[in-house]
Amino acid sequence: MNDPSSRPLLQTSGTYTAEVMQGIHTKAETGIYEIRGYGTLRQRRWATFDDLTFLPCGLTRIPLEGYREKCSTRTVLGGRFAKRPLELEIPIMITGMSWGALSYNAKAALAKAAAKVGTSNTTGDGGLSPAEREFAKDYVYEVLPSRYGIDVHDLRGASAIELTIGQGAKPGTGGLLLGSKISETIARQRDLPVGVDQRSPARHPDMLGPDDMVIKIEELREATDGQVPIFVKLGASRTFDDVKLAAKAGADVVVVDGMEGGTGASPAILQEHTGIPTLAAVCEARAALEDCGLYGEVQLIIAGGIRDGVDAAKAMALGADAVYIGTAALISLNCNKPLYLEDYRALGTEPYHCHHCHTGRCPVGITTQDPELMKRLDIEQGAERALNLLRAMTLEIQMLARACGKSDVHHLEPEDMAALTMEASVICGVPLAGTRKVFGR
Amino acid sequence: MVEIAAMAIDAATLSTREINTLIRARLKSGPAEISVENPNARHNLAVALLQPGRVRFAGSVGYYCGGLIDGAEIYVEGSAGWGLAESMNHGHVVVQGGAGNGAAAAIRGGTVVIHGDAAARLGVSMKGGLVLVGGDCGYMAGFMGQKGTLIVCGNTGHAFADSMYATTCYVGGNIGGLGTDAVVEPLSAEEAEMLDRLLAEHLPPALRAQKPPGRDFTKVVAGRKLWNFDKHNWKTWQDAL
Repeated sequence: MNDPSSRPLLQTSGTYTAEVMQGIHTKAETGIYEIRGYGTLRQRRWATFDDLTFLPCGLTRIPLEGYREKCSTRTVLGGRFAKRPLELEIPIMITGMSWGALSYNAKAALAKAAAKVGTSNTTGDGGLSPAEREFAKDYVYEVLPSRYGIDVHDLRGASAIELTIGQGAKPGTGGLLLGSKISETIARQRDLPVGVDQRSPARHPDMLGPDDMVIKIEELREATDGQVPIFVKLGASRTFDDVKLAAKAGADVVVVDGMEGGTGASPAILQEHTGIPTLAAVCEARAALEDCGLYGEVQLIIAGGIRDGVDAAKAMALGADAVYIGTAALISLNCNKPLYLEDYRALGTEPYHCHHCHTGRCPVGITTQDPELMKRLDIEQGAERALNLLRAMTLEIQMLARACGKSDVHHLEPEDMAALTMEASVICGVPLAGTRKVFGR
Repeated sequence: MVEIAAMAIDAATLSTREINTLIRARLKSGPAEISVENPNARHNLAVALLQPGRVRFAGSVGYYCGGLIDGAEIYVEGSAGWGLAESMNHGHVVVQGGAGNGAAAAIRGGTVVIHGDAAARLGVSMKGGLVLVGGDCGYMAGFMGQKGTLIVCGNTGHAFADSMYATTCYVGGNIGGLGTDAVVEPLSAEEAEMLDRLLAEHLPPALRAQKPPGRDFTKVVAGRKLWNFDKHNWKTWQDAL
């Protein structure tokens, strides 16, 4: 009876895995593709920042003393044309996440944290939230294809304007905010009917290609008297060409958002199967700026799955002037923390596995418009946690820079690193560890 | 009684920045009527004007004229390029000729009047306000319109009023084809009266006389089948996506 040979042998298809079969079952029931939040859930089998390692000083270079010698983190963006470049204390900024996708409390906590540490936060689809109006010191005002909530007064109050062409989680498509999050307040802000599944346009309503964008950027400069920098944000796709076009169109700063970037709601297949990874994106972006002679003149911000100071430092060594964080900032606010377990389970998930931002039922009050759920995120505590994350990440970047002998985090460079895989060597143009060879060159 | 000061600017030798700076500075000091000679279809004129006042362009203007304004009146004695009055909060923009693509795109309020024809994507993503075209319009007018009123006295291109939320459209001529989820609704007597009033208010009498009476307009609104996904309306969604 207990003879192992009598037990059935359970074989699993490598093609039709449980996840694949579940996806087919769901589509067969609903007639629509899966929509969810968070960003790609794939196990990353592509080259990432983890495939690089820093080469700290030894005899060939002299490190800086961690406790005594200064390592500047001051970051200036937009000196190309703006009369008033954006000056930040640290090279880490909060990316655009809409009021609507996020709760008031989440927007307030992030704005407060950013202001306290001396960096910026970004508005997102839906315009400037009351939280940002009250708490932000420097906000980046996004001009998106939807133009939800667009307001010239808010635009003129910004420290920088970001003309958004695409985002990393879903380049080439518009935003999505399901009806469960279109509350009366959000509907009023966006001029929409309450409860509709809001689909944002993929294209700007008044421009198409890069030639139009030249004029559009000039319009935004006119609207702000040429005072503040104009960023152009791209979802990482044909990054080399797109970055060149954006820079030549007159952008002060180009933002490139890789495929590990997050989203509040999007078709899952876009998150999993469109765009290129952030590591590849930063390398293409730098090459593009070098190719058109604008590296150093046009600044580069990298976004998409930046988790800690290590990712940030590696992105900067490869050419970024600053990084955006989004998902990591939300995790600092308790996203996926084991609290309110029954509410995770009601969504069919568990802490550390939740990607249900699209439902509006966020157990920890971050991605919801439900007043009761929102209360679970205390603004002051959230701001303190986000502040601590920003500070800790900055210390991590400084630690790595000092170890590499740099008195400024912006002095990190590709030769401060080695590749741990051949793919990373090929993509990043740095030698494979154990060799003196850059593969692919 | 407030005295309206007059000011003339010759744009021929000035940069766009200089022209806009002069206009803004004058409007900041009080209501004014500003004439701009030789605009020469230049882009980005009268952008982001935030004070009341009247600006007249003696000729055609390029892209984004009157974009992002809040409260000013702009009169164009010629035609306008793409993105006329885009993202306007409030204000009044009148073009005596035609307008390029995306006129009145994403406006949140105010009035845009085009005596001639408008090109494609008129009133795209409009979030409020009134758009009135004396002539015809191109394809996809009213696309993703969220609120406000769109009136076309002449004919429309194809895919009219496609994928709208809650903009209300009225057409005096022939509709070249309804967009996804656009439906014709009966016109009430009150709406016919409103159309007569708006046309009389915004079009010159000679032009108004050439247009049909309000009662002959066709009303188009969203069928609301795209507001929330329903697998039973798959055909509508297939066309929309």
